[in-house]
Amino acid sequence: MRVVRLLLVDDEARFVETLSKRLTSRGYYVEKALSGQEALDLVTSRPFDVMLLDVRMPGMDGLETLRAVHRLQPLVKVILLSGHASINAAVEGMRLGAYDYLLKPTDLEDILAKVEAAFEKKRLEEEQQGDWRQP
Amino acid sequence: MLMWRHGRGSALPPTDEFPRLVRAEFRFPVRSLIGAVASIPLAFLAVTLVLLVGDLGIGHWTIAAIVSLGLVVSYVVAATVTRRIARRLLELERQRDAFYQEFSRLSKAASLGEIASGVAHDINNPLAVMNEEAGWLRDLLGGPGLDRESTRQEFAASVEQIGVQIKRASSVTRRLLHWARDMTRPSDVIDVNPLLTRTLYLLEGELTSADVRVVTRLDPKLPKAVGSEAEITQVLLHLMKNALDAMKGGGGTLTITTDRFDGLVRVGIADTGPGIPPELVARIFEPFFTTKPVGEGAGLGLAISAWIVQRAGGHIAVDSVPGSGATFHVTLQPAGVSAEHGGEDEGRAAVAR
Repeated sequence: MRVVRLLLVDDEARFVETLSKRLTSRGYYVEKALSGQEALDLVTSRPFDVMLLDVRMPGMDGLETLRAVHRLQPLVKVILLSGHASINAAVEGMRLGAYDYLLKPTDLEDILAKVEAAFEKKRLEEEQQGDWRQP
Repeated sequence: MLMWRHGRGSALPPTDEFPRLVRAEFRFPVRSLIGAVASIPLAFLAVTLVLLVGDLGIGHWTIAAIVSLGLVVSYVVAATVTRRIARRLLELERQRDAFYQEFSRLSKAASLGEIASGVAHDINNPLAVMNEEAGWLRDLLGGPGLDRESTRQEFAASVEQIGVQIKRASSVTRRLLHWARDMTRPSDVIDVNPLLTRTLYLLEGELTSADVRVVTRLDPKLPKAVGSEAEITQVLLHLMKNALDAMKGGGGTLTITTDRFDGLVRVGIADTGPGIPPELVARIFEPFFTTKPVGEGAGLGLAISAWIVQRAGGHIAVDSVPGSGATFHVTLQPAGVSAEHGGEDEGRAAVAR
């Protein structure tokens, strides 16, 4: 079983810090980014499976980041995180190809379930495309 | 520079006199004209009668009596018609006011909705951090090495962080409650500077994430102004949200100023967005006029804002240089001064009181 490569993007430093500790202790490989730009820099340099992405951030916001990420790594599954239930942002995010949408605060169990489902989907897509690579 | 004023001279209170749709100086001529028009058929009738009775050989006095009677009747008819029209116009006027009142209520609800979404974000973020910290503590409790020094440190840091986030969230709720009190307190005199500060404070999260810098230049000697705190707050919030929307995407600077202008209390709200195209400047206060996509506003915000400000005896104006932003000015009557500015409308003082 391959290790899931996660990218956690949020301008809330402590949130990123603690969530990444919890995910790491559950066997995930986690990278952290505090802005859309930082996330893009990471996405340019290495492959990820699933990305947890905050919608509202200063500078490049979540939706913009989502667009740019998909240009770089079309198969990466993006789960949007938001502090407020904005239907517009959710609809827009799904339209732009986000895998799913979670409202903060979220139970870790819900995050894990979505991450696993997203990873499974990505794996199947890669198999279909015949471009399954071990990390 | 383009300039459009909205307000001055059109905020008369309803009177039982000829309605305010007809300006005072035109009332007499308008009335006479209606009278004259109404008399035409009667004059015809009178002349016909005169010609008819002339043939019958009836005396001049009788003719004079009939003509006089005709004039009296025509006056009565004209007066009745005038009153009916007046009443109808007044009725339309009342309907318009009722319409705005209703929409003002709805837009208050809508502005609370907008605020709610921003505030939800500012509370949910600290909650999300607390949630992770609590989860991490649970993880540590369930794991090995509870008596290790490093674990103790992890524990301390998380507990500390929970405290920090609680303070952060409760400052948001406190701000919200303070603001909500303003929105519900009945008042007819307002202190504009603190009201602006509180409203700005509430938008802090949204301003930061939209990369909007705030510059305030508030006149410390600003007198209090006439107006309902709830309503004027709604207007200022709406103008700030509009400014924020105008700068969405690219960021910018929101400049809030207060000063005394022409003896009045003036608030300036300036953005550095794309500005308003000259052909639209004159229309932005029209009800149902909007440049936003369908589903993002009914185009009533500015119309209602203008109506609210006018009712308080003030006015809203906009300056816009396309390409470098727009500035809205809300001018209010200073409190405690009998409102005698712009003597063209006798009703302002009455509304302001």
